[in-house]
Amino acid sequence: MPLVEQKEETAADIQGLRLKFPGAADLLFRDLSVKILRGEKVLLLGPSGCGKSTLLQVLGGMIPRVTEVPMKAARLEVPESVGFVFQDPETQFCMPHVDEELAFVLENLAVPVQEMRPRIEAALRQVGLNLPDAHIPIGNLSQGMKQRLALASALLLEPETLLLDEPSALLDPEGRRTIWEAVRNVSDRRTIVIVEHRIEEVIDWVDRVIVFQADGSLVADGPAESIFRRHRNQLREYGIWYPEAWSDAYAPITESKSPALADPIEDQADCPNSSAPRLESELQPLLRLEQFSVLRGGKEACRVDSAIVLPGDLIAVTGPNGAGKSSLLLGLMGLLPRRGLCRYGEYLPEGRRAEREAAAKHMAFVFQNPEFQFVTNRVLDEVSFTLRSEAEHNLQQERRGGSARIGWPFVRRGRLTAEDEGKIERRALEFLHRFGLADYAERHPYLLSLGQKRRLSVASAVVSAKPLLLLDEPTFGQDARNTFAMLNLCEELRASGHAVLMITHETEIAQRLATRVWRVENGKLVDDRSTARSCTDGTRLVMGDADETFF
Amino acid sequence: MKRFFEPDRKTWLHRSNPALKLAVFVGLFVWTVLTHRIDASFYLACLFLLLLFFASGYPLWKTALLASGFALAFASASVTMILFGKGSEIWWSWGPVSISKESFYRGLHLGFRSIAFGCQGLLFVLTTTSTGLFYALMQRVRLSPKYAYSFMASIRLLPMALEELRIRRDALAVRGAGGKKGASRLLQMPELYALPLLAQSIRRAQRTAAAMEVKRFDAGRRRTYYYDSPVTKYDAGAFLVMLAAVLAAALLAQNLPIFELGDMRMNP
Repeated sequence: MPLVEQKEETAADIQGLRLKFPGAADLLFRDLSVKILRGEKVLLLGPSGCGKSTLLQVLGGMIPRVTEVPMKAARLEVPESVGFVFQDPETQFCMPHVDEELAFVLENLAVPVQEMRPRIEAALRQVGLNLPDAHIPIGNLSQGMKQRLALASALLLEPETLLLDEPSALLDPEGRRTIWEAVRNVSDRRTIVIVEHRIEEVIDWVDRVIVFQADGSLVADGPAESIFRRHRNQLREYGIWYPEAWSDAYAPITESKSPALADPIEDQADCPNSSAPRLESELQPLLRLEQFSVLRGGKEACRVDSAIVLPGDLIAVTGPNGAGKSSLLLGLMGLLPRRGLCRYGEYLPEGRRAEREAAAKHMAFVFQNPEFQFVTNRVLDEVSFTLRSEAEHNLQQERRGGSARIGWPFVRRGRLTAEDEGKIERRALEFLHRFGLADYAERHPYLLSLGQKRRLSVASAVVSAKPLLLLDEPTFGQDARNTFAMLNLCEELRASGHAVLMITHETEIAQRLATRVWRVENGKLVDDRSTARSCTDGTRLVMGDADETFF
Repeated sequence: MKRFFEPDRKTWLHRSNPALKLAVFVGLFVWTVLTHRIDASFYLACLFLLLLFFASGYPLWKTALLASGFALAFASASVTMILFGKGSEIWWSWGPVSISKESFYRGLHLGFRSIAFGCQGLLFVLTTTSTGLFYALMQRVRLSPKYAYSFMASIRLLPMALEELRIRRDALAVRGAGGKKGASRLLQMPELYALPLLAQSIRRAQRTAAAMEVKRFDAGRRRTYYYDSPVTKYDAGAFLVMLAAVLAAALLAQNLPIFELGDMRMNP
């Protein structure tokens, strides 16, 4: 070890930290002590909600300077100059153009105007953003470039410590690679503290890993290698994306029936194809597209010459951003105008209204942000809402039929009987049980965690008998635990005869789980290829934790 | 790619100081409000329409497209007055509707003024960037940076909120919650839209604020400005041209009157 490093300076020293968020039942930290040396690269790991981000904010001085939180510490020495990069690329900027945003930092530091240009250009070069002209709208940058811009603006503060709060969580693989490359390039002689769930790009160069427990206490602290050797199980439990997470979760595909599928959805009658023959060639397609195209603003946004979806399919829709994947799904749901043939089973709806109704009857759609789909104030009502509107719809159809027979043109709105209501409530509760949400039945949907919100939106979508489930990047920005939970759920739906159509950037899903991969490029389905899996075989889920299986 | 609201060429109006320009345009608004003669308002409308086409720096078709909205403004401002205004010389009446000579011309007068207003407003908006305006206000009239930067940050958040409105509409359609019709649906609307959109916007605003704070934004401290906001000959130019336009309208009304109706108020 070189001599200079023996004279170790501390970058931060926190002793006996106690901190409690107002309204929380318990202390978040109980006598937490952490000491970080100057120049160290530290990775903080732990389950969601364990206080990693809060610790980062304490280190950055945001708590208690900006956010007032009751806290006490025997010793609180935090670095004087810090740069922060946050998770969300959209909300870190206050100015419309790249150069203006960087200038904002320099203005805050009262840097003379004539020095600004060169410093802005230098900062952009440092993070590998080679823009011919820095005066371009931030909105024109990709998400990954935005994160590098955020890093550039942090660097303009000339911080000795960089604090990174999941900077790559919301990026695609290319964006992830470039942001970490940029961080490494500027890491020389800087202290760096990272909170991140996805650690493939980080573990090779961090000096030290600190692992937290759910209660905010430390479990392990040491060099990366030994942590991964000794605490792999904990990492898996906490949903950390360590390099072998996928292969640990899914063993190679075998023909044997998995334990998770031993007890599939009971109400098989719900799914029209569940008792269908288990030979792929004999299956009736749930959806058949021919010369189908979706229009956006009058222009063709996505075109499919011919494609089918069979029961039991899990189709990964892949392709670059802006290629038309989302448009395709919205078009299938009838939310965008479309042309060509789209058959649901044998049924071919005609006219916009019929298309919409048929889509709503056959398909469920889960948006990327599940909050947008909630329509009630109670978790239980969320699920029963779907059932109730379905029942009301049926009732109305019946009445309409009756009125038509006697030539009466008006139809009274259907009202459900108390008996029906009771049935709906029971069934909704049953579903919440299966999705592991029964304990939260009385809660407001917004108060659930992100993983729970997504589960609830799937629950409320599949509770009615819709054979097709469309998902828009359901695992995006999720930790490993929530991702595998979501994929398990899809597997179980498949096993009961549903088909799942999923937009995803995750190559592992396409490789390991999908039965078909649709590749969309430049507004066209260019490749529809089947994988090694057929829509009739199950998967062997090694990750069989009791609380992770829903059914 | 060029965005829609990006001028083709920069005119003297683009180069003048936004803060001073704002003052000049407020003066113009006041002048237009206080114009009571239909000849004057007619010429004001004509002259500012011309200015809009020649000084905004936008191609003709874009300006024409934007200005086509004024037809609606003209109609909505004048029609009510024409149909229901008071007057002694009745031309035509039917039930509550009565068109008199006075109400007809008063309606036209209102319409001309609303066109003049529209042109002035559009001219200002098309030749001023929000960033430029707030920098000028901070440096020229000592607007607190706290408000200036919050406004600029919130302008960034607007398109995101709009996009979310669209997503919420789609999501409601998927859930079948948009299916109810009539009054009950109208009553439900604020609840269905406000909660998720507000929740998301508040979160976003809070995160943006945190990001600004860690970039050491401190409204109380001395700061430098990336764009300086000088007063130049263009400001004098802008002021003189606007003054000339107003005077020309007044002179033309005096010497080349078209309607010759004098003051349009009921009790001048």
